[in-house]
Amino acid sequence: MRYLIRRIEFFMITLWAALTLNFLLPRLMPGNPALAMMARYRGRVNPQAMHALEVAFGVGTNQSLLEQYLHYLVNTAQGRFGTSLTFFPEPVGSVIMQALPWTLGLVGTTTVMAFVLGTVVGMVSAWRRGGTLDSVLPPIFIMTSAFPYFFTGLLCILIFSVALGWFPLGFSYTLGQPVTLTWAFIGSVLDHAVLPAATILITSIGGWILTMRNNMITTLAEDYVRMARAKGLSPLRIMLHYAGRNALLPNLTGFAMSLGFVISGAILVEYVFSYPGVGFMLLQAVENEDYALMQTLFLLITVAVLVAVVVADLATALLDPRTRARG
Amino acid sequence: MDIRGALADAPVTGPGRRRHGFTDLARAVRSNRKASAGVILLALFSIMALVPQWLTPYDPQSTSFRPSLAPSLRHLLGTTAYGQDVWSQLVWSARESLLIAVGVGLLATAVSVIVGVAAAYLGGLPDHVLSLVTDVFLVIPTFPLIVVLATYAKSGSLTVLIAVLVVTGWSYGARQLRSQALSVRNREFLEAARVRGERSLYVIVVEILPTMTSLIVANFLGAALYAVLAAAGLQFIGLGNASDLSWGTMLYWAENNSALQVGSPLWEIMPGACVALLGTAFALLNYAFDEISNPALRPAGRRRAARATDS
Amino acid sequence: MKRLRWIAPLLGVMLLVSACSSGGSGPSPGPTTGTSGVGGTVTISNESGGLWTCGFNPFNPSVSFLAVGVVYEPLIYNDILTGTNTPWLATGYQWGAGNRTLTFTIRSGVTWSDGTPLTAADVVYTFNLLKRYPALDLNAVWSVLASVTQQGSNKVVMTFSHPAVPFFYYIADQVPIVPQHIWSKLASPVTYKDSQPVGTGPYTVQQCTPENIAYVRNPHYWQPGLPKIAKVEYPAFTSNPPANTLLATGGAQWGGQFIPNIKAFFVAKDPAHRHYWFAPTENVDLYINQTVYPLNVRAVRQALAYGINRPRVSQIAEYGYEPPGNQTGVVLPTFRSWYDSQLASQYNYTYDPAKAIQLLRSAGFTRGSSGVFQTPSGKPLSFTIVNEGGNSDWVAALQMVKTELAAVGISIQVDNLSAGAYDTALYDGHYQLGYGFGYGGPTPYYELRAALFSGDSAPIGHPAASNFERWRSAQTDSLISQYASTTSVSVQHQIVDQLEKIMLQDVPLIPVTEAVDWYQYNTRSITGWPTPSNPYAQAAPYNFPDWEVVLLHLKPR
Repeated sequence: MRYLIRRIEFFMITLWAALTLNFLLPRLMPGNPALAMMARYRGRVNPQAMHALEVAFGVGTNQSLLEQYLHYLVNTAQGRFGTSLTFFPEPVGSVIMQALPWTLGLVGTTTVMAFVLGTVVGMVSAWRRGGTLDSVLPPIFIMTSAFPYFFTGLLCILIFSVALGWFPLGFSYTLGQPVTLTWAFIGSVLDHAVLPAATILITSIGGWILTMRNNMITTLAEDYVRMARAKGLSPLRIMLHYAGRNALLPNLTGFAMSLGFVISGAILVEYVFSYPGVGFMLLQAVENEDYALMQTLFLLITVAVLVAVVVADLATALLDPRTRARG
Repeated sequence: MDIRGALADAPVTGPGRRRHGFTDLARAVRSNRKASAGVILLALFSIMALVPQWLTPYDPQSTSFRPSLAPSLRHLLGTTAYGQDVWSQLVWSARESLLIAVGVGLLATAVSVIVGVAAAYLGGLPDHVLSLVTDVFLVIPTFPLIVVLATYAKSGSLTVLIAVLVVTGWSYGARQLRSQALSVRNREFLEAARVRGERSLYVIVVEILPTMTSLIVANFLGAALYAVLAAAGLQFIGLGNASDLSWGTMLYWAENNSALQVGSPLWEIMPGACVALLGTAFALLNYAFDEISNPALRPAGRRRAARATDS
Repeated sequence: MKRLRWIAPLLGVMLLVSACSSGGSGPSPGPTTGTSGVGGTVTISNESGGLWTCGFNPFNPSVSFLAVGVVYEPLIYNDILTGTNTPWLATGYQWGAGNRTLTFTIRSGVTWSDGTPLTAADVVYTFNLLKRYPALDLNAVWSVLASVTQQGSNKVVMTFSHPAVPFFYYIADQVPIVPQHIWSKLASPVTYKDSQPVGTGPYTVQQCTPENIAYVRNPHYWQPGLPKIAKVEYPAFTSNPPANTLLATGGAQWGGQFIPNIKAFFVAKDPAHRHYWFAPTENVDLYINQTVYPLNVRAVRQALAYGINRPRVSQIAEYGYEPPGNQTGVVLPTFRSWYDSQLASQYNYTYDPAKAIQLLRSAGFTRGSSGVFQTPSGKPLSFTIVNEGGNSDWVAALQMVKTELAAVGISIQVDNLSAGAYDTALYDGHYQLGYGFGYGGPTPYYELRAALFSGDSAPIGHPAASNFERWRSAQTDSLISQYASTTSVSVQHQIVDQLEKIMLQDVPLIPVTEAVDWYQYNTRSITGWPTPSNPYAQAAPYNFPDWEVVLLHLKPR
């Protein structure tokens, strides 16, 4: 119970910190949306139009900082994130809904794949200590994990798009293709997803392999594993149920925590491949100084990671009584 | 950026085994192949950073050559679309990239040590608050935050970039150091020091920190790796100072001029490879430190050999 | 490399106000009738920075380039490149009452795409809509208008609160006419999305997804037999490389793209059919803050102008795509007829470092041991240029400017700022030197006015609309006001000549390079493109309403 309270406390405080950060940043930094707008009208805008626009965009109010803060919290709680400057008059929420499926599809799938694959490979590699797998993999994956995501992406583009022409340069499907649930369309989507997915996979899998391998090695030295061996249980059973399971548990939270990193990397992958997902949209918002969009995306990513962490925490607690006891 | 998470979550082993002096560390590094590779790479990059003028015939910013030349003896890696020598740019860029790595590594480690050890030593409410803050920083996705921060503060200064990376990069270390410090907190030699009436600061600096040398070094390496990758990413998307010379900035210019598509791939690939190799150097060292401090992780063959020499 | 900011279309600088002519009769393009020769698809490749919102509100600056022209049309179309002026929804216009009234005759026989006829009431409604909702009045036409009323069945009379002849351009060419029977029922025209736009133009929106807009031919278009192109595809490109690739692979026929190394990347793959033309329309300037000593010393500004090697900056930082600027501020070759070549050669601002050094010496500056000039009180001639860091070609250009000026003893730092910080510095005047676009228009007057008119400036600490360098001169102001009240082309030319002289003599700012319209075209399946020898419209697809005129000239092969 105490554990649960602490996790809720953590969740609430992190959420509040992210919200507040989001509120403060644009107000601390130079420039404001009104000015950005003036720049866009290139010297032609007259004061009345300027004022009218400010009202339309909801900027330039004379509220005190505290009032603005409270307004902001209330609006956010009600899911009103404001109007996107770039996609005016579209509300931010519906703009993001355009990008979200692409990111969930690409980044979500590949992240889970990397985690599962990496965990299995790491487990086997530790089990066969000193085998070929175990001596070859770590150095390779230490290297690939140190590769910047975007560099792996650029290499993929150079080799498989520019030189060999096997895969498209970017975007999420062939332009001009009707967006319908046909095999042609699905094939085009998959074709466009191969390179970015491979990039994320190659770069992120190493971390999982190494973590799992190290956890597993430590676990294998534990008494209960030796006991199981002495009892003559089947090796597969020991590997999966005894050692594997316990080595995996600390990894779950690690997985959730590292979602932030993966998303960070995915932003750059989306950028390199012009993939129209959340990360790409964030960079576009940054470029256009679209504050409302930028903030909401940041909030979205934070909340996603936070929820994942809490879910992973709770799952760990359910599966592993020791965690609860430690509190 | 994953490796950092991976390594940070590696199980923390008993403190006794972690107690190394620097001479022990040096010996351990020599006998570990991964560590040696890391040190050699790092040394190469350091030479590039320290004496670039010995390695390059041209001013890296000079635009006096013919644009987009293919590699030749006069221009080992060809020229950029602006008529700059790619090799000269590559070598001179090592300085800023390395500076960011080391600067962020040192500062972030310092913050981690202060927060982590203070939390463990003070215990109670201060520990609760500090741990909570650490966890908050850990969970907030750093890269989007950096992007947002760097946009607002794009005065292009190196200081801002380093500050942003430190703010977003200290929390992993703090968490690890805290649990490490917790495990030594109640050991006899600390009790003895307290009984002698030593001040807290003395206990922390003289008694606790030395037990954590290798973990602190590992943290420095992790933070440096993080800084290399994050800084390159930021500069690549144009959030650094585009007038500076660094690998990330080179990548930015190359990407902006579609270097891959218009036939000057080396302009884009080489700085990327340098970032990857510098990152690899830090990652190799980091991993090696894990092996050094946790003998169970050492490669099987050499583990036996090491045991033989130890005894 | 810099692509124009997302608002790029807004920069469309369009028509020449040859205001003394009072209009011809019929539209020039396409005398043919019937639907013979109709077919083909034109695909546009133009990076817009984001996916489509599928809104077509022509008064929303982020989407107006997708609606104004092909869907919503203006009263008069003017081609800035030739200075010609074509009646469009108005068959003619007439200045009156000492250039205080402007009367348009509205064309009959035009219908909206839903079948309702266009009337003079629609025009009156549109202008009064802008009055009622200032947020829609993007060109601030109501800053000079006093009233817009209907006269008889087909005339619209506009009265001006003060002489503002140059505003003809904004009123006639930049205000798209919308149907009263639809817009008058809207609750909020400012936030109206307009996903099914009903206009008078040659195309209607067939299907829109975030990734692509398909326009189809409006069979009831008022110009007989037009358009010839059956379909227009406008995919959304979020970044430059895929848009360039679509052009390179031949998938798009019409580009509005910056392409590095364009000859190898684009033209060489089919030299017989692939062409490009980058027509300059305005300048990229070095703003000089006139309130900062010693930048307020004329000799220092002149030295800066002599010390910058404009052709080299153009050649290296801009791939030679953007021609070097010239000190008169008149964009060449586009506005050749306005250029006072005699005056320009008299001042002769070609790159001349020796002259720059000599100017500084004779103005009493001395060269210190470090090679940098000092003021008589010992302050070094060291300045910071604020730049928008997102424009990488500008960053490259300023790197060169820095090196060149160092050679004449002027020390330069470049501050590559975020757009917000850059705007703040420039607008509020908290800077020494700045780099940025001039605000062009259909004649050089527009850009010179924006740069030099004190009414467009503001005290330090307050945002200026333009004239960021804070140039204040009674003589300049009076020239600018005179131009605004005359429709005589020869008087206008005389005034612009005198403004050029101010630019040359006093160097209030330095045009370093020119900004161009990015335009590529492929004649393999489509012909009729605008070319330097037939510049019937501004050719980039993001120029509105010009892209409509281009589409009306195109034919399937």
